[in-house]
Amino acid sequence: MAASVREKQTVALKRMLNFNAPPLKNSAAEPVWKVLIYDRFGQDIISPLLTVKELRDMGITLHLLLHSDRDPIPEVPAIFFVMPTEENIDRICQDLRNQLYESYYMNFISAISRSKLEDIASAALAANAVTQVTKVYDQYLNFITLEDDMFTLCHQNKELISTTDTDMEAIMDTIVDSLFCFFVTLGAVPIIRCPRGNAAEMVAVKLDKKLRENLRDARNSLFTGDNMAAGQFSFQRPLFVLADRNVDMATPLHHTWTYQALIHDVLDYQLNRVVMEEGAGGDPSPAGARPKKKNRKTYDLTGADRFWQKHKGSPFPEVAESGLEGEDEGAISMLSDNTAKLTSAVSSLPELLEKKRLIDLHTNVATAVLDHIKSRKLDVYFEYEEKLMSKSTLDKSLLDIISDPDAGTPEDKMRLFLIYYITAPQVPSEYKTALLDAGCDLSPLNYIKQWKAFTKMAATPANYGNSGVKPMVMNSGSQLVMEGVKNLVLKQHETDDYRYFDPKMLRGSESSIPRNKNPFQEAIVFVVGGGNYIEYQNLVDYAKFKQGKKVVYGCSELSNAGQFIKQLSQLGQK
Amino acid sequence: MASDEQPESRENSQRRRRVTSSLGDVSICLQRCSFTDMAVDITLLFKASVKTVKTRNKAIGIGLDSPKDDIFKRSRPKIGFSPKAKEVITNITKLKDFLLQHRKDYVSAGSLISSDLTRMTDNERDQIDQDAQIFMRTCSEAIRQLRNEAVKQVSSAQVKEHRGAVLDLIEVYLRGVCKLYSEQRAIRVKRMVDKKRLSRLAPEHHSRVGKTPEPMEEKTVKEESSEKSVSEVPNNTLNLWEEGRVEDELSPEEIQMFEQENQRLVSEMNSLVDEVRQIEGKVVEISRLQEIFAEKVLHQETEIDSIHQLVVGATENVKEGNEDIREAIKNNAGFRVWILFFLVMCSFSLLFLDWYDS
Repeated sequence: MAASVREKQTVALKRMLNFNAPPLKNSAAEPVWKVLIYDRFGQDIISPLLTVKELRDMGITLHLLLHSDRDPIPEVPAIFFVMPTEENIDRICQDLRNQLYESYYMNFISAISRSKLEDIASAALAANAVTQVTKVYDQYLNFITLEDDMFTLCHQNKELISTTDTDMEAIMDTIVDSLFCFFVTLGAVPIIRCPRGNAAEMVAVKLDKKLRENLRDARNSLFTGDNMAAGQFSFQRPLFVLADRNVDMATPLHHTWTYQALIHDVLDYQLNRVVMEEGAGGDPSPAGARPKKKNRKTYDLTGADRFWQKHKGSPFPEVAESGLEGEDEGAISMLSDNTAKLTSAVSSLPELLEKKRLIDLHTNVATAVLDHIKSRKLDVYFEYEEKLMSKSTLDKSLLDIISDPDAGTPEDKMRLFLIYYITAPQVPSEYKTALLDAGCDLSPLNYIKQWKAFTKMAATPANYGNSGVKPMVMNSGSQLVMEGVKNLVLKQHETDDYRYFDPKMLRGSESSIPRNKNPFQEAIVFVVGGGNYIEYQNLVDYAKFKQGKKVVYGCSELSNAGQFIKQLSQLGQK
Repeated sequence: MASDEQPESRENSQRRRRVTSSLGDVSICLQRCSFTDMAVDITLLFKASVKTVKTRNKAIGIGLDSPKDDIFKRSRPKIGFSPKAKEVITNITKLKDFLLQHRKDYVSAGSLISSDLTRMTDNERDQIDQDAQIFMRTCSEAIRQLRNEAVKQVSSAQVKEHRGAVLDLIEVYLRGVCKLYSEQRAIRVKRMVDKKRLSRLAPEHHSRVGKTPEPMEEKTVKEESSEKSVSEVPNNTLNLWEEGRVEDELSPEEIQMFEQENQRLVSEMNSLVDEVRQIEGKVVEISRLQEIFAEKVLHQETEIDSIHQLVVGATENVKEGNEDIREAIKNNAGFRVWILFFLVMCSFSLLFLDWYDS
């Protein structure tokens, strides 16, 4: 992957916005205006990648939600970027009947089925608008890229938990569909490894089948043709490791200490956007809508922010002291140099203003995080959990921390106790009263009890020990994932427990196929279930440690500890 | 039975034919997937499904809407915002093409002795300048007019926002084209200035050529201001060219007038340069003074801090002193009571002894 997934997705989006033609480099080209219409999925995909200003530069005058009230705007082409669900199709048919726009460019985020296409066709016929539907495309972009090496699948409906079989099938189908879109955009067919006996295996089987079907159909395979020639400078295929959330339940609950993970844990951080309230709480403001309350501030933490890119993985005290001061000094030195030369001062003024804005942004965010840390004594939790997870000696008793009234919210205490419960071999039961006194909700505990019993049966010991990477980096929880990646990337010893899928192979049996013996240069780690920034940070540090290997992290949804606890309590109440 | 079968089989065969035709379409359109895009163009598939739906509707007997609504629909957009906006854009594009087309000729240095046919005369260049400026002004007028119209017209908020954004885009485009023009112009002016600098030997010849760069130098490339120079220059050059192609045949009065104007402009420029230099010096001083102030303020801050500490210490001491005094008073009072008691006891004992003795 010479270009990262984010660049590829951005290029695909820009091409789509240019009426599905490659954008011209000519800067003084005639402006063509258009209207962009998306649904919630499309909005989630576009908002981390393109800013409103970039949309304007591409000629998008209005961007609207599909299910909002839209007025007819004559003589304007409209670009639709939606998922092919029933209600979206119905709304599109309604738009065709109401003749809202002059021409329609339909782009479906994942492949649309024939019957739904016929629904649109009949609506277009009925409204005599067939000539207006200019282009219909399947974009295969059903995933959200947050960073250059991190992606997630679904951002909506995170609260829904269901354990019925049909729902599980539906959820897995969506996951497989999104992963398929991911690999189509990447332009590479991976080799799939997954552990046995859990949801990850089922996803891997389905994904393998889908890739195989697509490759076998040589005429219209999405992986042949110019794609391979243009995008494959490395002749290796990436390694795709699937992991299940069940393997490690402690990491999502862990209190963190790096900047990005802290922001995700403590503040409202969704899709690279931080929302901080001065007054009452609120929902994150979606792209394109103006914030409803005057005292709520939103900040976008993007790739263009150099300070953010440099410090998002560093521990918080480092960020606060060295980072911000360094930036301040840089800005002040710029100022003092420029008083001597007027013209250069005027020209570098926008740069200075931008730097000032970023410094203010990060100061506010860091201050908010610091307030939370102070009020909830998160550093105490962090140290204690680190010790728990690395099985070193504990200097304070757990009961002290739980009964301490001003050390954190009941949720924090619950998290600490759950981590203790997961990592300790035996747990005395006197903690229940202490927890109830502190006001914690005990339903997550029921679920964890079930899970622990289940994993004990499956006899895979959870290994949380350190691996020789610096102890300041939190790596204890996701050790198993990293072990898998390490072994498979370096091929030191086969993790024979893991199944092996190669969609390019013609035969389906796995025992006798020759395995790819070369060490892999790129790996994609995907967690089925909730993922979080702690694991992402660990993988990034690990990739930096091993020169020349690229690791991409993905998860089916990104949940911080609070949301994870909610899910656990919902499961525990069942 | 036979008659029943007949229409059925016909329908079946029709259906089969439809299916195979649609399959054929499908296969064709699938073959034309554009791989470089990584997105699949299913427009042909869509058209195929339209055909199937049409034939299906015909078979079932649903009548299609007659195309009489077409005429009404088509006549709606004739009057409106969009054609006017498109017209403005085509005009700007025409201007851009024109500028680009003649750019090479415009910018060409061309020595004065060459008689190349493609070389543009200064007259033509100035004509181009003038025309381009008038054109740009009319375009920006048109944009402003459209904006007012759009504001006045009562329509939904979305349409208003859309129209505003469209006009912004057109303005940006116009600005880009203006930039092209001003770049061209700047190159031309620079060339003139260089020419003037290089050939200072022949004063009269270059006093005339000097006219053109002087007015151009002092003005920035704003449309309103350059209008003056544009009107000046064609007049001058027109007069000169009218009088003949040979430079030496200028009348002495004209030469004198030009020289005077020259002097005036030079002095103006010099004064401007002086002023700018003065301002620069002042601003530098101001910044230096500000630095000094900041330093002093910081210094004072430390001093104030130390004073604050001292004052805090002093208040503490005073408080302690008060406590001590209070205790001392208490002690004093207690001591006095004891003395009194002792004296009273002594006197009582004396009295008692006296009484006892007597």
